[in-house]
Amino acid sequence: MRPNILVSVALLVAVVAFGYFLSPDLGSFGITIMSGLFQGMLLFLVASGLSIIFGLMDVLNFAQGAYFMVGAYVSYSVHHSPDVMAAIPDPNIRFFLSVISAVAVGAILGGLLERFLLRPLYARPVFQIVLTFGVAIVMTEAVKFIWSTNPYSWTVLFSLRDQSFQLFGQSFGVYRLVVIGIGFALIILIGLLLQRTRIGIIIRAGVEDREMVEALGINVRMVFTLVFTIGCAVASFGGAIAAPFLGASAGLANLFLLSAIAVVVLGGMGSYAGTAMGSLLLGLALSVMQVFAGKPQIGLPVLASMTPMMLMILVLLVRPGGLFGKGR
Amino acid sequence: MLRRTLASNWFYVVLMIALIVLPHAIGWVSGDSPFGVRGRPVGQSIYWQGILIEVFVLAVLAMSYNLVFGFTGVISFGHALFFGVGGYILGIVLEYTDLTGEVGLLIGIGLTLIVSAVLGLVIGLVTLRLRGVYFAMFTLAVAEMFYIFFSRLALTRAEDGFALTELPVWIDPTRSRLTFYYIALALLAVTFLFIRRLIFSPTGAVLLAVRENEERARTIGFDTLRFKLLAITVAGMIASLAGLIQVILNKKVGPEVLNVSNTIDPLLMTIIGGAGTFTGPVIGAAGLHLGDRLLRDLVIEVGGASIDIGANWALILGIVFILVVLVFPYGIVGTFRRWRTRQAK
Repeated sequence: MRPNILVSVALLVAVVAFGYFLSPDLGSFGITIMSGLFQGMLLFLVASGLSIIFGLMDVLNFAQGAYFMVGAYVSYSVHHSPDVMAAIPDPNIRFFLSVISAVAVGAILGGLLERFLLRPLYARPVFQIVLTFGVAIVMTEAVKFIWSTNPYSWTVLFSLRDQSFQLFGQSFGVYRLVVIGIGFALIILIGLLLQRTRIGIIIRAGVEDREMVEALGINVRMVFTLVFTIGCAVASFGGAIAAPFLGASAGLANLFLLSAIAVVVLGGMGSYAGTAMGSLLLGLALSVMQVFAGKPQIGLPVLASMTPMMLMILVLLVRPGGLFGKGR
Repeated sequence: MLRRTLASNWFYVVLMIALIVLPHAIGWVSGDSPFGVRGRPVGQSIYWQGILIEVFVLAVLAMSYNLVFGFTGVISFGHALFFGVGGYILGIVLEYTDLTGEVGLLIGIGLTLIVSAVLGLVIGLVTLRLRGVYFAMFTLAVAEMFYIFFSRLALTRAEDGFALTELPVWIDPTRSRLTFYYIALALLAVTFLFIRRLIFSPTGAVLLAVRENEERARTIGFDTLRFKLLAITVAGMIASLAGLIQVILNKKVGPEVLNVSNTIDPLLMTIIGGAGTFTGPVIGAAGLHLGDRLLRDLVIEVGGASIDIGANWALILGIVFILVVLVFPYGIVGTFRRWRTRQAK
């Protein structure tokens, strides 16, 4: 086993063990772990795009969190719109439809961003970073313009979101489990896509050496647009499936962008395996820290929100390349 | 010597005199005293002094941002951190110690400068060795988490913040606004001169070299990390002074001084005004803030739908910003300068 995998697994075990010692019984331990995995999966959906896009085209997309937010709003609106409700009374099918529309909107907006705003700027990387930041501002403000500044909470439930099961005297939501399942499935699916398909091979080759790939006669620009589109669609998908829990609000953009940045630093910029591992680690660490900081002996719940930053500082000091990165 | 200096800088001298006279001029035109009425801050002159102080604060903040982004080529998304630290330290000193009046103020300013310098150094040391994008990410994350932390921490009164009640009378903007106006104006002028002096010095030449091509600067033998650290530390200290002026003007410190909008504003102002120019950030700050103030109540009708300009100011600014980045990357001042050199040929 390579040392970085060993270190990652050791960290995972340490976080889980810490969570176990904090919990009074198995039930609440289960809740902590499940909530951690849930958060980790949502983080992965934002961070994977961030990391792959950065690895391939050296663009850090500061708008990635905004795509998550847009996904949440679109899925909320489609699910709760009276017209759609009248057309499709069954909430399960409607939810499926709202997720699909969120993914479509994310993909279209992502493709447009790369094709028309980023492409003219590949010669000026500094302005690319500044531009994605500007796009994040515009998307957040546009969302406030369209949906007003009030946050929405998901009111019309569907059967999956509604169900729960009993274990160790605690009740667990089925929907969280489904999201975790979808997250793991996507980790494997995107991994297979990168490992096994022709386009995946081109992407990995592009991460290693973009100019060489271009020299071999492959249209890297097309691949850029494709990867950007998929990355934004995945983030939007994350927002859509998170909305039944988190609702839709403008604050989601920044919240998930910051945690995703921490994941990418933790896992190593551009490394897919690192991103997956980093998401799991940070999700679990966040959940455990929420329990730890909420304990009456500590009584400082705000500590939990500092977790991503503290992890980031630690990683940058000890191993700036991240768990799976190549040094720098 | 003096004559040559005056001849090449006549524009700045005239502008400075105009800004010194302006409160009196507004007072004379509107008939409201620039000193307020019976110690109360009312009247046109006082109102415009308040707005101009805000412009000066934003201009100083934008200039400090420009020192990092425009002259050194380092992207920071966490300038709000330095801005907010200034306010919070003054608030904590006045609230939690027995120090009041001038002593409290001076110690607050001193501590602010020290802490912002240390923050700049630490953040720089952790991230500036790595690629530029790490610095951008890290500053954004640190600033945002400080915002969350301070808005929930009991020590800093969470969302409510402090009211600054123990300020000396001569600086208190509700009692002697005109003095405070001149203090803010002086900070603007000193910052402007300081940054110009710095950029024209040998150190400034290295900063520009780092922006143009860092590897080449390193190859020549400059320790570029040290120069980048210097830029971020100095910029952080200047930004914290701007934050101090801002909280004294509001007489209140709350988490809003750490809000990400205090990062976005100087970024927009610098790029729209012209990154890497001396006047660009000032013009950007004045233009955007006065535009915000004047257009706040404007509602325009477009095809039957009415659009509230004031409520959607940030959206409009964001779109303008994207257009500027794409079409006029040199901003107002840079584009104007290029146009003039082309005319001259």
